Amino acid sequence: MRVAYYSPLPPERSGIADYSALLLPALRRRLDIEVVKRGRRRPPRRTDIALYHVGNDPEVHGWIVEALRRWPGVVVLHEFVLHHLIAGLTLGRGDVATYLAAMEREGGLAARLLAHGVVERSVPPLWENRPEDFPLTGIVLDAVRDRGVIVHSRTVEERARAAGYDGPLWRIPHPAWPDPEAPPAELGGEPLIGCLGNLNASKRIPQLLEAFARLRESRPGARLLLAGAVSSRFELEPRLQRLGLAGDGSVLREDYVDERRLWSLLARCDICVALRAPTMGETSGIALRALSLGRPLVVSDVGWFSELPDGVALKVPVDELEVETLTAALELLASDEAARSALGRAARDHAKREHDLGRVADAYATALEAAAGGEAVRDAVVGEVARAAAAVGLEPGGPEALELGTRLREARIGE
Amino acid sequence: MRIAVCAPQVPFTRGGAEIFADRLVAELRGRDHEADLVTVPFKWYPGSRVLTQAFLWRLLDLEQADGRAIDLVVATKFPSYAVRHPNKVVWLLHQFRQAYDLDRTELGQFDESPEDRATRRAVHRLDETALGEARKVFATSRNVADRLERALGLKAEVLPHPPQELAYRCERSDDFILSVNRLDRAKRIDLLLDAVATDASLRCIVVGDGPDRGRLEGMARERGLDGRAEFAGRVGDEELVALYARCLVVYYAPVDEDFGMVPYEAFLSGKPVLTTTDAGGPLEIVSDRRTGLVCEPSAAALAEACGWLRAHPEQAREWGQAGKAVAQRVTWESAVDRLLAAPA
Repeated sequence: MRVAYYSPLPPERSGIADYSALLLPALRRRLDIEVVKRGRRRPPRRTDIALYHVGNDPEVHGWIVEALRRWPGVVVLHEFVLHHLIAGLTLGRGDVATYLAAMEREGGLAARLLAHGVVERSVPPLWENRPEDFPLTGIVLDAVRDRGVIVHSRTVEERARAAGYDGPLWRIPHPAWPDPEAPPAELGGEPLIGCLGNLNASKRIPQLLEAFARLRESRPGARLLLAGAVSSRFELEPRLQRLGLAGDGSVLREDYVDERRLWSLLARCDICVALRAPTMGETSGIALRALSLGRPLVVSDVGWFSELPDGVALKVPVDELEVETLTAALELLASDEAARSALGRAARDHAKREHDLGRVADAYATALEAAAGGEAVRDAVVGEVARAAAAVGLEPGGPEALELGTRLREARIGE
Repeated sequence: MRIAVCAPQVPFTRGGAEIFADRLVAELRGRDHEADLVTVPFKWYPGSRVLTQAFLWRLLDLEQADGRAIDLVVATKFPSYAVRHPNKVVWLLHQFRQAYDLDRTELGQFDESPEDRATRRAVHRLDETALGEARKVFATSRNVADRLERALGLKAEVLPHPPQELAYRCERSDDFILSVNRLDRAKRIDLLLDAVATDASLRCIVVGDGPDRGRLEGMARERGLDGRAEFAGRVGDEELVALYARCLVVYYAPVDEDFGMVPYEAFLSGKPVLTTTDAGGPLEIVSDRRTGLVCEPSAAALAEACGWLRAHPEQAREWGQAGKAVAQRVTWESAVDRLLAAPA
């Protein structure tokens, strides 16, 4: 079976590009995959099903959404909130009408009025301020209703269903990377706490800095590693200065790092921190790498992160005591080696068990095979049953016919 | 208790599964249960027909019969376990293997078209539901249980059963290799014929019938085995017992077989079993150089093993007797006790 595969790929700097680089070799062992060249909308000849990886960045995923709207297939929703993507595809190209319609679909007339405000610049851009209130995922879900959606978490599954999506849906965990056994980076810190990936407010960097500053009072040897590009609207330096963390070497900075360096840094960290709020329903590739390596992990108690079993990561609620709880979590892990080891072991086991690459690729093959031929099989089976029912005089809509439907659903033959 | 034993029926075909189901009903009746066999014809091709035929089982209403409750349903192999019942126990002989381990092999059924791939997935979903809802799943062998767990993540308790009850006996070897099996490709009778062709001193008798018979007979002719490979077809119980009694060794080496009653029948006849390292279920029964020989699945290895047994008749007899002790430990009494003790 031939699958047209739409996704960003390295060297593009995107979590989804990394994801595809990991998944593709395993998928190719199970299916005939053709990766579609960036910008090409039509799938290659003899394609049985197209697979579209969608995230929230219009630069990276705009062409993919355009393709899927023309040629519906199975979409992988890497995050649920797509407001930025949709705004880029509509307003970013002068298409006000589609943006207004998308907002109305999501939140009725009130949302449409709000969208008018955005267009007229009397309301700040919603994709920057309130994207989680208007995810605008409907455009994508509507396009693939007959084919299917793949999500990575219960959070996104529930949100898709709540948004009215009633088509096929498969929940497939994000695969974990195999441990590349990278040598730990030579960095100081007793302990070294690491936060890797893009640095911005939604990664709770302000709260992390505050908690780290408090930890430093009792543990002057502690170091915080921040590795990743700083978001353009996020002011890191002034925060460091305000908290007395600038210039004393307590915060170690690296900009975007390549995969090799990333693993080295993670391998060195005594504690990894992957916070998030608000969540767009995304899964964290960094958190998964940390789990694979068996690093003690601290996460926010939101979205996919909440779905991690207790005992695999320490979860910090996003509330008025967030900084206090985070400080306590860091203090606990800094002071208790046994707790760090137990958490690390549980993390590694969890990654192996739930995020095994082979199992993930199998689940993709299941989903794609069901999506590509499912409709034809459903038609054949239901048609044969219906003809037999009619031949013995069962009335459509009658109780016997309704029971047939119930039994077909039970046996999941019609899925 | 009123117990319905469910088993599909392939018209004009009778094999181990049918013998098993009949025997189970008889054993249950022997314990004063009111037991009956429920069958529905099964045809698994072409295309998605496997699903519509499986669906027939889903439509059956076995909660009552003639105004009285049926207390327990024991389903056996695909698709009979799709039946609905609040007290359903599955004693799994096998799933629809074409959708699992035989897929993409020469014994598979589904090609690479999206429709065939989706049909295969629909079989998986049906199995997940039908087996997942059962109160308890037993599997006839570790091999079947492992396959189930690997494919669907469902657990089954291993519960082997004895072979058909015949007056098995052991007589002096007439120096032939016996094969008792349905003649289809998965049973790998062709490997035996190749082995016999390798060594001109070997002789075999092939009991059974099936869709591969014509090909196998042609193959025997091509290899010049006239007189050394005899196709006996289906034989009666008396003749079967006599063949078991007089053979040198029983060959049984299907591809990754579920279980197979033949090794037990051979053992009860005091005969060793010749099987291969990839035979699956039989490897749970046959111990190499203790109750038989386990060799590589090649004609040369099989011929060499047969030659060795011919040269060591005492050893063959000893292994056959050791096998008999193994087979005698598997009884209907203990199997049915465990089946009925499954927690309600």
